[in-house]
Amino acid sequence: MLVTLPLVTILVEEDRDSSQTNDERHCSEKGRLFFADNSSPILPAAVPVQDILSVAKLPGIGQVASTIRKRMMSMALHKYLLTTDQVAALDPTKSFTHREFSFTIDNDVYIRYQSFKDCDEMKQEIIRMRPNKIDIGAIFTVQPKHAKMVQPGAFKPLEKELVFDIDMTDYDEIRTCCSGRRGVHCWVCDEQARCLDDAERKAIINYLTLIKGGSQQSKKVILNGNEEIHPHISRSLEIAYEHFDEIVLRDQGILDTEEQWSKLLSLIPDEDTRDTIDKIWQEDKTDSSFMKWEEFEDTLEKKMSKRGSNKQLEFTQKEIVLQYLYPRLDENVTTHLNHLLKSPFCVHPKTGRVCTPISPDDFETFDPFKVPTVVELLDEINSFEDQGADSQASTPDDHNAEPPRHASRLLPDYKKTSLKPYIETFEQFVAGIKKAAVKQDPLAF
Amino acid sequence: MFTQRAAGIKREFGSNVGGIGGGFGGRAPEVITHSGYPHRLQMYNKPPELEITIEEFESFALDRLQVLKAVEMAQLRGQGTDDCRRRINESLSKYLPMHSDRMGGTRPRQIIAERRKDHISHFILRLAFSRSEDLRQWFLRQETALFRHRYREVDSADRQSLLNEISFDLKILSPQEKAKFIEEMDIKGFYPQDEQLFEVDFRRVLDLVGRRQAILRKGRAYIAQSNLATLVINEYQKRLGRALEICAKALPRMDEDERLLPILQNMSSQYGSQEYQSTNAAGAVTADSVDSLTAHFPLCMRQLHGKLKEESHLKHFGRMQFGLFLKGIGLSLPEALLYWRKAFSRMTDDQFQKGYAYNIRHNYGMEGKRTDYTPYSCGKIITTNAPSSGDHHGCPFRHSGQDKLRAMLFHGGLKDSEVRDVADYAQKGHYQIACTKYLELQIQKRRGGGKPSVLAGSQANSGVVIESITHPNQYFDLSLGDGQLKNNNSNGSGKYAASYGSTQNYQR
Repeated sequence: MLVTLPLVTILVEEDRDSSQTNDERHCSEKGRLFFADNSSPILPAAVPVQDILSVAKLPGIGQVASTIRKRMMSMALHKYLLTTDQVAALDPTKSFTHREFSFTIDNDVYIRYQSFKDCDEMKQEIIRMRPNKIDIGAIFTVQPKHAKMVQPGAFKPLEKELVFDIDMTDYDEIRTCCSGRRGVHCWVCDEQARCLDDAERKAIINYLTLIKGGSQQSKKVILNGNEEIHPHISRSLEIAYEHFDEIVLRDQGILDTEEQWSKLLSLIPDEDTRDTIDKIWQEDKTDSSFMKWEEFEDTLEKKMSKRGSNKQLEFTQKEIVLQYLYPRLDENVTTHLNHLLKSPFCVHPKTGRVCTPISPDDFETFDPFKVPTVVELLDEINSFEDQGADSQASTPDDHNAEPPRHASRLLPDYKKTSLKPYIETFEQFVAGIKKAAVKQDPLAF
Repeated sequence: MFTQRAAGIKREFGSNVGGIGGGFGGRAPEVITHSGYPHRLQMYNKPPELEITIEEFESFALDRLQVLKAVEMAQLRGQGTDDCRRRINESLSKYLPMHSDRMGGTRPRQIIAERRKDHISHFILRLAFSRSEDLRQWFLRQETALFRHRYREVDSADRQSLLNEISFDLKILSPQEKAKFIEEMDIKGFYPQDEQLFEVDFRRVLDLVGRRQAILRKGRAYIAQSNLATLVINEYQKRLGRALEICAKALPRMDEDERLLPILQNMSSQYGSQEYQSTNAAGAVTADSVDSLTAHFPLCMRQLHGKLKEESHLKHFGRMQFGLFLKGIGLSLPEALLYWRKAFSRMTDDQFQKGYAYNIRHNYGMEGKRTDYTPYSCGKIITTNAPSSGDHHGCPFRHSGQDKLRAMLFHGGLKDSEVRDVADYAQKGHYQIACTKYLELQIQKRRGGGKPSVLAGSQANSGVVIESITHPNQYFDLSLGDGQLKNNNSNGSGKYAASYGSTQNYQR
């Protein structure tokens, strides 16, 4: 039996009010664009704050100072994993001990199916192996490092967070600004969501996916004209229309040049309409995208009134709006229990930025370029401790020696840095999962 | 023929297959009601507990296998079409007829015998097909398709008694509740007005959810009465899937009855999707000769080849689909490394070695778990890993827009009318027929335009008739051999028929 649970809310079509708060994007005139925002008007609307952890995948330094790793990595994460243990029906530590970790070392070699008995062991391994990247996998029936000791069929994934992935590269064909290598993950972590199997995840992603097809198919949204529009689509449309002018016409200027607008034209199945619109646009090429879009709408309207109710044309406009604004979800990440997830708080190997959680409350104000980099973090710790050292004479870096009774020694390293608010967001999220689990009636299962 | 009593069967069924139990309720003639087979459609919850002859054992199972193969082929040719329905019905009436007990005209004794055969043959094949994941998947898919077909063919009384048999956590919304739900969700017109609305855990109706035929709220799916069939079919599929796993686990414990084991093994070796066995010796094709062979590539591979040239890169699934295809036509590992290195011309050696060489060696079974991977079949290409933005893999007949496909066909030298014919097949969902047709036309043109002949069915108007394409490498071999396979064996249709069961008739 399912009880009312957080996951469930992601499937809910009701939460209409929150959609109105998503009136933002970070694609400013300066041409910066963060995809959490371009696409968030729809997804977060369906997802309540406390149930979501969004982890930004940021552009980012190959070799990361091992000091940082030693001191900061995985603490909050470990806490999350342990918390889910307490929440899960599993015995108390399985969610950590039976969890797959994957380390990526030099030459992009993945070392998969690692597991650790506790946080200390994990830390030691991280320090020893110096991975460039850490990914998190599923919770398995046996400790992943022992996978080869059991019969082939006995090693199976049991649980994993339900994750939705939006990658910048999937927008290449429609965006006119910014560099790639960015994206956002949406994690749904309550127990029911974690326990969904592949087929169930697949059904959810199919329910949500509107954009389909590879590079050989330019038109990627096709609404079935013979059926009543599904409430999920009509609600998405409402939100998309609200933002279309600003994001698509103003910021992206998708009709500014002929090269751009020909892409849009190719989405109109009716040749006659396509030619008419092209002709109008050709007349004054320098018109703004707003202007052209208005002309497009007018033309469609005229054509529709001429031919009576023409469902296909009516749908064409909706399909185009969705193609430009509906979130492009990476299906494989959501579908497979065995798919690896980038670890929260890991550092992007190129830019050195930390992968941080964002509360849906903060989507409007989140700026990916304000996220601390690993080098900044190291500086911050050092300067924090230098201040301490000034007032304390000396701080021997020896853990066995009696440390001076100073605040800097009592604080965990991450609290000395600009990472603090992100960790707190994460902690609040974890507390939320705990609370949700407590509210459940255990007899409901 | 000998008729030996197979006393062991009862025990095997009993111990291996976890039955869920439950009786049927019906209002058929008394003799049928009490026969143990009161219902026309079965959930196959209980294994048969009876003795049968070895002869019956084998013939029942082989008959059912014929039906399952017909189901598979009919689906490939176009799922859900009238043609598909007709083909399955033909096969059913030949091998596994099941008459209604309310229609009259059939003697109860015969009805019981038909249902007994349906029951027993299902369980024998369960045994035969539970030994590997691949076999289980195939069996599950075909049996589910068969069940779906039958569910649609039977009348509402038959369906109703089946529904009663399965217990769901299914809630029927009262008219007031229905009205309230529609009001709250603002969905006038989404559900048929005169139908009841049902509420059920979304996990019971995954395909309705995936197709957005249901509305979700708080993890509950709201479905119309007309979609109940999906619910029943899902339940059938779920139970059968579970039962097959239980069966598989128990299989090693099965008494190794030397009379049964060979029969069972023979049966499962009959099934469809054994992977393509390349007859092209590795080394037959070199990195340099690949480009000269593209005329024999199926469209999907031509597309990948073209894009690889154009972009000097392919994304993961594109590399897999094309790379394994090349392996299949005889490109050896060293040549493959050379080929891909050249193709990724904008990349440094270092990047190539780091990012791609491993995967290529992996495909040849030289890395990781050392599986010697085989080229993807049409079935796999059509049904799995659909391409998304930036991908060029997939089946052009399935995954390309109509305009792009037509352009490709035209580019392939087809006349307007031919383009229309082939594109039409694709549009109707007959992707493999479209591909077959395309190759027929290519061969015909190469031979200098063979005379159009009057042929039945899909091959009409084409001078060349070849076996149906089920694998890109089969296309390649056929094209290269001008419609004939190079290594034809005695029955004339070679390895593909043996592997795909499409044209082969099993000889008893």
